[in-house]
Amino acid sequence: MPVLIDTPNGAPDITGALSRPDQGAPRLRLRLTPHKSLTPEGFVWFIGVTAALIAVPLVSILGTAVFWALLPFVAASVWAIWVALKRSWRDRDIWEEVLVWDDLIRLERHEPNRPIRDWEANPYWVRVALYPRGGPVPQYLTLQGGPREVELGAFLTPPERVGLKQTLESALRTAAL
Amino acid sequence: MADAAISGHDHERPGFFTRWFMSTNHKDIGLLYLFTAGVVGLVSVIFTVYMRMELMEPGVQYMCAEGARLTAAAVEDCTPDGHLWNVMITGHGVLMMFFVVIPALFGGFGNYFMPLMIGAPDMAFPRLNNLSYWLYVAGTTLAFCAVFIDGGAGPGWTFYPPLSWQDAPTSRAVDFAIFAVHVSGASSILGSINIITTFLNMRAPGMTLHKVPLFAWSIFVTAWLLLLSLPVLAGAITMLLTDRNFGTTFFDVAGGGDPVLFQHIFWFFGHPEVYIVILPAFGLISHVVATFSRKPVFGYLPMVYALVAIGGLGFVVWAHHMYTVGMTLNQQAYFMVATMVIAVPTGIKIFSWIATMWQGSITFETPMLFAIGFIFLFTLGGVTGIILSQAAVDRAYHDTYYVVAHFHYVMSLGAVFGIFAGVYYWIGKMSGRQYPEFLGKVHFWMFFIGTNITFFPQHFLGRQGMPRRYIDYPDAFALWNYVSSIGAFISFASFLLFIGIVFYTIFAGRKVTENAYWGEHADTLEWTLPNPPPEHTFEELPTREMWDRQPHH
Repeated sequence: MPVLIDTPNGAPDITGALSRPDQGAPRLRLRLTPHKSLTPEGFVWFIGVTAALIAVPLVSILGTAVFWALLPFVAASVWAIWVALKRSWRDRDIWEEVLVWDDLIRLERHEPNRPIRDWEANPYWVRVALYPRGGPVPQYLTLQGGPREVELGAFLTPPERVGLKQTLESALRTAAL
Repeated sequence: MADAAISGHDHERPGFFTRWFMSTNHKDIGLLYLFTAGVVGLVSVIFTVYMRMELMEPGVQYMCAEGARLTAAAVEDCTPDGHLWNVMITGHGVLMMFFVVIPALFGGFGNYFMPLMIGAPDMAFPRLNNLSYWLYVAGTTLAFCAVFIDGGAGPGWTFYPPLSWQDAPTSRAVDFAIFAVHVSGASSILGSINIITTFLNMRAPGMTLHKVPLFAWSIFVTAWLLLLSLPVLAGAITMLLTDRNFGTTFFDVAGGGDPVLFQHIFWFFGHPEVYIVILPAFGLISHVVATFSRKPVFGYLPMVYALVAIGGLGFVVWAHHMYTVGMTLNQQAYFMVATMVIAVPTGIKIFSWIATMWQGSITFETPMLFAIGFIFLFTLGGVTGIILSQAAVDRAYHDTYYVVAHFHYVMSLGAVFGIFAGVYYWIGKMSGRQYPEFLGKVHFWMFFIGTNITFFPQHFLGRQGMPRRYIDYPDAFALWNYVSSIGAFISFASFLLFIGIVFYTIFAGRKVTENAYWGEHADTLEWTLPNPPPEHTFEELPTREMWDRQPHH
């Protein structure tokens, strides 16, 4: 699931959580990731079957000079698809993390080859805005009330953003009490 | 944090040069592939027409050592130029295999529609996609050079040594042909890596492998076959190149090499290659048949696994192209049985297409005509394939016109019917204008009749024992060669008509505004888009209701 919700009663702490010693664990943690349809198991299967099939012609030329001339080409192609699949994962290795405490909401955006970008505000003043049209994507979700207006989960599906708005708003309302 | 951008991202439309020469958009690159393949196809077809003119009458009238001519020469004025003939068959084979059918089906339709069908915004590596296309263009240029430089390359598209030795000290023609295949191979490998990555990692949420549309599946299997087989070809022809130019003896008996080894590794590539040519057509035909039968595809899962099985079996049957090189009885028996096994998944596909049509409310628009033509003629070519797969029978048929008839039935009448079905099926989607139905049907009937008149008599010629790849033949073969040539001229006329139809459609066709203009059974994701689709599609991920119309799959 591209939206991972973690509340204090939920699972134990996972990586990268911002700890605030004075305030304890955040009341809500959200981790948003883009959809990747290739699973790690799928990667292993694909590379395994590819390597096995491409080795078939090598069997017929074992023990000849031709074997050594062919080997680099075969190895290079397996390497190339390996790198391409890894690269495709890394290109989508992007995630946004939302942390809500009673007096602070914090957003982090992690992208490969870029420093972490963050945004902080007081939950009391934060509004979650949803633009059904007019944004770069339908049901464009932004957070207002901080230093600037920021987008949230632009890589999710539109229904996921609608659900995200409700989750966030209920957490913010409790925080503001 | 990414700042909000509520105003949207209205960037300027790219100019002509930027759009078509520096394109990273999968739809634009797909169109480029289709048009380039069309141009190369026309050249390659002109080669065949010239060859059929030569074969129309016994004796040599056109390809003379005194100079190639367009009007028939008298016997005393013409010394036969067998090398020119070899150059023509090599040019036709290399161009058709590497530069027409794969770029049209895999590069063109694959690039354009595979990402749309799986709901991806573009290919995984858009700039790599651009590189693939331009490498293909560069390869095409080299292939044309191979026809014209130093008297032209004439070893046939299979490059068997020692034929590919062809004046190595003085002539660069074969080197150009080898480079052409190298460059096109590099292009196809990059393209296939791109397509595999896109297919595996960019499918819409919820679209598991068992829910991907059949055309996208067929493109994926094709890409996989390319990735597995092309490195082997690249290795083989690189060795050929060093044999020719740097004194190595990989395939030279004089230095301890073995020319039969080349045939083995060539056909390890070559057999998957013919599936690479036909598999995208399989996927495409499934959609066309379902659309015009107004029924979902019969047996989706068996169709998928038949595709995968055909692809897998393609790697273990290569030596049936070379029964006559002197293999042991056990080897021949194995390759014979393995080859016959391919009939099973192929039969599943043909059965499923017929079952899809069964009790459907069929209408015979042009794409459907081409699809039915494909099923009928591909089956016919497949049956002669089963005959040829028998090692004993192949002793008689090897290198006769029977083989020529067989592989033209599966490729010329199979893959090319698939291309035409795809063009008529999707031209409204790609251009926003619909082709004239009547002319489309005229094209179909001309092409159907023309190609059958061309290739069916070649079975007779093969059974009479006429060998392939010769410029001339005895009088005994005159009748069916004459008929075959008439058929080739009809087919060529139909191709010219097709070019006319395409340009008429693009500039003056009736505009189509309805997204799914073939009706509700054209239900893959590309039919949710306007005609033509906007520059950017599915930047927001499509939802499941958009593509999962038959949840029982």
